[in-house]
Amino acid sequence: MAGDAAAPVLRVRDLSVEFVTEEGVIRAVDRVSFDVQPNETLGIVGESGCGKTVTGLSILRLIPMPPGRIAGGSIELNGRDLVPLPDGEIEDIRGRDISMIFQEPMTALNPVFTIGSQMADVLCRHRDLTRRQARVVAAELLAKVNIPAPASRLDDYPHQLSGGMRQRVMIAMALSCNPQLLIADEPTTALDVTTQAQVLQQISALQAEFRMAVILVTHDLGVVAETCQRAVVMYCGSIVEAGDVASLFSQPRHPYTAGLLASIPRLRAERLAELPVIPGRVPDLLNLPAGCRFADRCPRVQERCRMERPTLAGTGTGGSLVACHYPL
Amino acid sequence: MEILQYALRKLLGGLPLIVGVTLVSFALMVYFGPDMTYLLLGKNPTPEQILEVRQQLGYDQPFLQRYLGFLREIVTLDFGVASTGEPVTALLAKTIPVSLILILPGFILGHVVGLLMALAAAYWRGRWLDKLIMAVAVTGMSISFLIVIIGFQIVLSSSDGLDLFPVRGWNSTSLGSYLTYVTVPTLATMFVALGYETRFYRSIIVEEMSRDHVRTARAFGLPESRIFFRNILKNCLIPIITRIMFSIPQVAIGGALLIESYFGIPGVGKATYEAIITGDQPVLKAVVSLTAILFVLVVVLTDILYRAVDPRVTIE
Repeated sequence: MAGDAAAPVLRVRDLSVEFVTEEGVIRAVDRVSFDVQPNETLGIVGESGCGKTVTGLSILRLIPMPPGRIAGGSIELNGRDLVPLPDGEIEDIRGRDISMIFQEPMTALNPVFTIGSQMADVLCRHRDLTRRQARVVAAELLAKVNIPAPASRLDDYPHQLSGGMRQRVMIAMALSCNPQLLIADEPTTALDVTTQAQVLQQISALQAEFRMAVILVTHDLGVVAETCQRAVVMYCGSIVEAGDVASLFSQPRHPYTAGLLASIPRLRAERLAELPVIPGRVPDLLNLPAGCRFADRCPRVQERCRMERPTLAGTGTGGSLVACHYPL
Repeated sequence: MEILQYALRKLLGGLPLIVGVTLVSFALMVYFGPDMTYLLLGKNPTPEQILEVRQQLGYDQPFLQRYLGFLREIVTLDFGVASTGEPVTALLAKTIPVSLILILPGFILGHVVGLLMALAAAYWRGRWLDKLIMAVAVTGMSISFLIVIIGFQIVLSSSDGLDLFPVRGWNSTSLGSYLTYVTVPTLATMFVALGYETRFYRSIIVEEMSRDHVRTARAFGLPESRIFFRNILKNCLIPIITRIMFSIPQVAIGGALLIESYFGIPGVGKATYEAIITGDQPVLKAVVSLTAILFVLVVVLTDILYRAVDPRVTIE
């Protein structure tokens, strides 16, 4: 992926994130590298616990530190490394250059402040506006995310809105300072299916309008297929496969990606009955195998896989990368 | 206007509670309480004398009538005459202000200082200051109230210690004498309350700090201090208000009783204590009913305060 000609908005190189626990040091993200180009949507896919959310959070340094720490690597926003920045400077970047929305719209907003007040907080933090001006801008933003009667909604509290509405408020807040990058961490997981589609469409439409890049963190391959141009598949803290979504879905090279794709349920009863699953469990992050981390669950496992950990390497087709000794 | 109606409705809703509390406590006093008859009579009274005294005291009337008489006393705030011959209302008017100015400084300081210590501990949680504050809090909680009082008396009031304040007694005729008498009881109550308040407040603040909305605020670049003092603290107000409000009846009765008897202070707690010992029913009835009313008022006021701080609480 590093070969792209256009300058990426975000360039993550060898990012490692560790958590110090009583049982030992857990490496939740292990030497992860990816680029995000302007105006594109990159999916980060994987099971829960694979490190995708931690990757998203650590870009804005939102993991709790301690116990968490960025153990190595760099996160470059337009060529400027965010990892060594002092806290004050990363605060300036949060919500202005990079915004983030979260999985649970029900709890992500503060229950005791109005929508308008919370939006004004962000607007006044990053833009030179008075509270009164910020309210006007906030109403415009709510209109952009299709919230009816936006001006009167400003005085509502989060509990007066539905889950989908709250997530749209979050999106409006995230866009309020024209960020270059939006990190969406499972933005639709907590919503019902029709609302999911609306929220995703909203993000895509606004992405074009605001000309921003999006990182979509999700476990839902359907969402990735619909919204992303490229995706990275994470397993056990590292990237196992990366590439453009079309080839990733039609020709997965890593057995794990293939397994994920095969286990998407389809609405045909006889198929549902024989839905393939990936056997076994994700290994304990405190007790990782020496070789390939997927070896115990892999149908194509060989002796070499248990001895030697595969590195992410080009597959020869496009910019695709795979970390497997015996790719499909 | 809306809030006034709400308050009124809540107050009316508190009436059954007052009736219930007074009914139970009155029944207990009538059937299990002290009988004044034999105290008032000399040795070897005749049955006629006994009957006469019981009639004077109203013991011969049926329970319901006596209870209704009690309710009338509550409504008119006229609780009759204490066994000392003093009207109960006058006794209360004399003792309640003493208790108020005795308890208030310790009560307010206990909560304010406890909250400040909890804020500091929560803000620097896991650091040395947090550990120090929690160590002090647990120490305060672990020492018996009696030991604390005696300790403070020895250190601050005795000739073996600093000898700065009177050991016991009360004089509030001037600000200076008030301060000398109120200091040691205040320090003792504060020392004991502080541990509980600090631990409680710290735990609710730390819990609130881990909420999703705090991460959201951080993700949008709001400064840590603003998140802490505005976003987090406002969410903590409900448990803080509950804690403060519901400790009012407890402090007014339990705290006053204990402190006033240890320090020999002529407040309502000491008067209650003496009424219990001597079986002075008019005083006990007054104290019990006023406590019930205080409790109901506290509940209603707490509900109204909830509405003011939490938009999710609605007027139904």
